Amino acid sequence: MKRAKILLVDDEVVFTNNVSRLLKTRGYRVTVVNSGDSAIKILEEENFDVVVLDLKMPGMDGITTLKELKKLGLFTETLILTGHGAIDTALEAIKLGAYDYLTKPCEIDGLVDKIEGAWEKKDEDEKEDIQKKISKAIESPRSVYSESRRKREKV
Amino acid sequence: MEEPAQKNDNPDEKSLEAQRKSQYSRLFRRFILLTIVCSLVPLLLVGWGIYMNYTRFANSRMINSFQTQVAHHRSIIELFLEERSSKLQLIANTHSLDHLVKVSNLNYIFEMINQEYQSITDLGIIDERGNHLAYIGPYDLMDKNYSQALWFKEVMAKGIYISDMFMGFRKEPHFIIAVTSPGKKKWILRATIDTEAFRSLVENVRIGKTGEVYLVNQQGIFQTSPRFHGKIMTKAPFPVEPIHEGIKVRILKGITDDRNQNLPRQVVSQTWLKEPRWMLVVKQDFSEAFTDVNHANYATLIFLHLSALTILIVSILITRYMITIIKKRDIETDELNNQLMQAGKLAAIGELSAGVAHEINNPLAIVLTERQILLDMMDQKTYHDLDFKKQILDSMSQINVQIQRCKRITQNLLRFARRTKPIIETVNLNAFIEEVTELMEREARTSGIKFFLDLDENLPPLLSDPSQLQQVFLNMITNSIDAHEGKPYGSIQICTRSDEQNGGIQVELTDTGSGIAPENLSKIFDPFFTIKPVGKGTGLGLSICYSIIKRLGGNITVKSEVSIGTKFTLFFPYKPPPDLLENIPSNDEDIEAYFHINSKRRD
Repeated sequence: MKRAKILLVDDEVVFTNNVSRLLKTRGYRVTVVNSGDSAIKILEEENFDVVVLDLKMPGMDGITTLKELKKLGLFTETLILTGHGAIDTALEAIKLGAYDYLTKPCEIDGLVDKIEGAWEKKDEDEKEDIQKKISKAIESPRSVYSESRRKREKV
Repeated sequence: MEEPAQKNDNPDEKSLEAQRKSQYSRLFRRFILLTIVCSLVPLLLVGWGIYMNYTRFANSRMINSFQTQVAHHRSIIELFLEERSSKLQLIANTHSLDHLVKVSNLNYIFEMINQEYQSITDLGIIDERGNHLAYIGPYDLMDKNYSQALWFKEVMAKGIYISDMFMGFRKEPHFIIAVTSPGKKKWILRATIDTEAFRSLVENVRIGKTGEVYLVNQQGIFQTSPRFHGKIMTKAPFPVEPIHEGIKVRILKGITDDRNQNLPRQVVSQTWLKEPRWMLVVKQDFSEAFTDVNHANYATLIFLHLSALTILIVSILITRYMITIIKKRDIETDELNNQLMQAGKLAAIGELSAGVAHEINNPLAIVLTERQILLDMMDQKTYHDLDFKKQILDSMSQINVQIQRCKRITQNLLRFARRTKPIIETVNLNAFIEEVTELMEREARTSGIKFFLDLDENLPPLLSDPSQLQQVFLNMITNSIDAHEGKPYGSIQICTRSDEQNGGIQVELTDTGSGIAPENLSKIFDPFFTIKPVGKGTGLGLSICYSIIKRLGGNITVKSEVSIGTKFTLFFPYKPPPDLLENIPSNDEDIEAYFHINSKRRD
């Protein structure tokens, strides 16, 4: 069974290592970064299904990272993991488009549940998008063509 | 450590109370003194002004009246003497000596003069050598020679003379009027004035009880008998003033005379007659003359005293009232200060707890992941030593339990510090309380505790944050249940009432638990204060409740009796404070309905 590809963003190195190990044991493909900047960098190059994001980090904090990530327009769901407990910040993150939030310390099973949920949503969104594109192509094939050309030019 | 601190608290409070008391009494005295000085000084000034003015006015009126009286009496006396003098002058001018020396003629004139009323006692004609030429009268004076008499010399010199009172040949006080004839050969017409008639003119004048009128000559000899002190022809006990024009009014000081008689203060008015030079004196005791003035002054004095007394009473009453207000204000200020201190404490603790919670949560998360890694590893391996495996699993689960415990604590801390914006919704408090009690009923039942709900059916809905309210009631009820530890059974009564006066709902939560000791009562809302056993309570529950209730614009008070129970009174306003009203989600139909209902209620 295919497991989700996960990007883990947290400044606590021991924590990210441990969680990465636990998730890998459970069959996920996990990449770890320890700052918001590196997260954005790696996301520009690579696709991930779910990003697990800490809110309080030195440098670029979680909320900013989330905003930057959203700008990239990727099919990725974000899961907020915070030790801060500032629920209002987590809620803000959800308003910005994060899938859900978890507070530290959390059980690995809880994290896995949320990751599964996020992954499922990401898949659904992707499918929906493809369907939209197909129906659009049927209605006016030209626009799809021009859009794909625009994208190609951009790249 | 704590006990001595508590013991120190009470004396401090007592001394503070004593200090306040002395402060109030000092304030009381100062106020009284100030009001009395401020009101009595003007009163005394006004009183003194009235007294002075009135006395001056009354004095001048009295003196005027005395002057009028004296002038009146003087004119009567002068008229009397003038009339007689001019009659004699007329006779001397119109009759010849030859005619007058005839006794029948003289007698005729004598009778004519006395026709209307007894006016003169006798009438005589005397030649220039002082011998009687003719005489009509009751005495035998024909052989008397007056050439050496004072009056004779005076009349010969002046032409008319009115004598002082003298004894003369008759040995009784009398006085005469003598006139000389015109022409070269001088003779004298002499009449003795009816002394009785003249004296009655003066002596019969009555002025009040103490007034007297008399005449004194230039030598200070009484010419009439005074009503009280002295007799005619005796020396007056006081020196006679030099001759002056007009009327003088004096006030004589009270003296003791040589016969050891007390002479009171007197008003004396005097004037000199033109002829003879007698002094007319009108006297009256000062006290009698000024009775009206004195009465008026007494009345003023009584009025002043009464006013002063009234001012005193009023100022005492006002001051008392003011002190009561000040005391009340002080108590309110104290309460406010306490609340402020409590709020300050909570805010400080809030800041601290947020930091602490965050710092603890991260290592906890790591511990939890480490534990999970160990568990994962154990799953992959097979252990022959089952005891060892069991021990490891036990320890792991214990680690989890303790982590969860820590998490609960940090979550509480964070909730306490939480600056989350409350979400305001309409809340039906009765239904809400029913839900919460239902939730707690199982736990309560195991402790043998029953809930009694006494809910006001007409309770209007309120605008508040349901999740925070839930936390408050869960906390409060959990505390109440915990308070029954050691008691086999008990009850918790929750009562709701609308409090229209304060615009909100009052909730009373009464339990039959073990109560709170008086020394702890002031600390129960302090963060981390708990009397529960270690591990059972964080000491944050009530302070979280306190801060939530305050944030929602409400209030919480407590009354407790050890081993009988505790009663918490909570108050929630119908509408939260203005800053929370912003947190109402737009297009909330319920809230629109709420405002609609409430505006109707107000109508």
